[in-house]
Amino acid sequence: MPAAEIKKFIAKNFLFSDDASVVPDDQSLMSSGTLDSTGILELIMFVEEKFQVKVADEDMLPENFDSVNAIAAYIALKKQAA
Amino acid sequence: MEKSALSTAWSGGSPHSPDRVAIVDGDRVLSHGELHELVIRAAGALRSGGIEPGARVALVLESSWQYVVCYLAVMRAGAIAVPLNPAARERDLAGWVEHADATFAITDISYAAREALSAALPRSCRLLVCGGAGDPLAKPAAPVADVELPGISPDSPALILFTSGTSGSPKGVLLTHGNLQANVRGIIESLALTADDSIMAVLPFSYAYGNSVLLSHLACGARLVIQRGFGFPKAVVEAMVRERVTGFAGVPSTYALLLSRVRLENFDLSHLRYVTQAGGPMPVALTQRLMVALPGKQIFVMYGQTEATSRLTCLPAHRLAEKPGSVGLPLREVNLQIRDAAGAPCASGVAGDIWASGPNIMAGYWRNPGATAEALRDGWLRTGDVGRLDDEGFLHIVGRRSDIIKVGSHRVHPQDVEQVLAELADVSECAVVGVDDEILGEVIKAFVVRSQDSPLQELQVKRHCLERLAAYKVPKYVEFVAQLPRTSSGKVQRSVLQNPQETS
Repeated sequence: MPAAEIKKFIAKNFLFSDDASVVPDDQSLMSSGTLDSTGILELIMFVEEKFQVKVADEDMLPENFDSVNAIAAYIALKKQAA
Repeated sequence: MEKSALSTAWSGGSPHSPDRVAIVDGDRVLSHGELHELVIRAAGALRSGGIEPGARVALVLESSWQYVVCYLAVMRAGAIAVPLNPAARERDLAGWVEHADATFAITDISYAAREALSAALPRSCRLLVCGGAGDPLAKPAAPVADVELPGISPDSPALILFTSGTSGSPKGVLLTHGNLQANVRGIIESLALTADDSIMAVLPFSYAYGNSVLLSHLACGARLVIQRGFGFPKAVVEAMVRERVTGFAGVPSTYALLLSRVRLENFDLSHLRYVTQAGGPMPVALTQRLMVALPGKQIFVMYGQTEATSRLTCLPAHRLAEKPGSVGLPLREVNLQIRDAAGAPCASGVAGDIWASGPNIMAGYWRNPGATAEALRDGWLRTGDVGRLDDEGFLHIVGRRSDIIKVGSHRVHPQDVEQVLAELADVSECAVVGVDDEILGEVIKAFVVRSQDSPLQELQVKRHCLERLAAYKVPKYVEFVAQLPRTSSGKVQRSVLQNPQETS
């Protein structure tokens, strides 16, 4: 499940916790202060590597990456298209 | 400058056509006239709410139209604005408020840590919430009879910008209205700004560079397009196209992000006239990539520091190609000297300490006479940077003496992080340094000596820091070591930690 993997990654790398449940599913990661500008980039690199999707520059937008659910939906869409 | 001109200067560009747009912040658009009215009204509300001239008012606000109004209103009311980084944790925020002895703090209803902030503030400080309790922006129920606003002179203190956390010796740079005016004059002249300009403002207003962008553009009647942060560079570029901005200001990491994630040639940036870069040295290779990505645009490389109201030098855009690595010439009212360790002037081309004087040099560090005496000597500022002047008088930065770590647009004093690390029971010794990072320039690395048999792990260390420090201050790397390298006098050798191959 991409969502679970993403939450684990965020918990470990940005909240420094082994407990993935601390990461909300549908909250803005930027405005909640969980991620900053470079955090988003690290997250995108993780998504590219882990799920073998290429994130095009034009896809790097808040609607695709600003919440766990949005990222999971984006990955599903890319996988479907592939 | 005349007193009357000064006291109206910060109320939103009133001398300019009031119908021109001053601020675009998402859906909120304010003309210069509207901004002026809001500022005067808020200044009156602050005065009648008990804010005296010279009082300190902390601003815990994201870059926003509310920030601009509150900031200008505090200064217009004759009080001293103390902008604080809203990403900081309560312990730093409360420490700054306490050191500034601020009697009021202003935040916004949207600020997530509002309750924690309220609980952490000293009792002597009252919290006003934009959109909430004590809203300084609220329309008064009855028209406030013209509250008399104080006259402001160039020597009046205007602003305190903290350049370090509150451990050890907090450094709050105290800037006067005259300092701010000098910076505005210097920037308007260097960039040839006019009322037709508009800038994409992504840098935080609570830092010297962002503050300079804010004031210099409003003062000449130009337009600010506010965008919080740079997490989605492409969204920012799209907004630049949509808003037809003529200018952009960034630090090296902004440009590294921009060039790595956005193909600028795919965007219609025909309105863009200039971009500025300051906030630390940018690798020449990156500047050259920027020149290729933005053909025909004016690129201004600049240098300065908070203590100099952000700006000391600017490299004229048309000299960029022939002066790679230089940060340019002193602004017109700034004098620079390169001096040796004994304080004597160095010969042309010889590297030494960079000293500066001019009307933009700070009044001193707020309530820190020791640090002020260290930095200011006979009207000259000792920058702490090392540089040389070439035969045409262009400055080249060779290094810096201080330990400050530059993480993106942020400044981090190692002591602030070390203090927090040392509070972990299992840490017997620690030292923090900056290590190179491709995007951010530098990131933080902590070296930790654990107490014997301690099971302390990297994640615990980072979590402990995150609970107490702004995210950008949390070490990206933690290395556990048996001991720290020290000089014979016992001082930690940071340079050895930074460059392990170096032996000294």
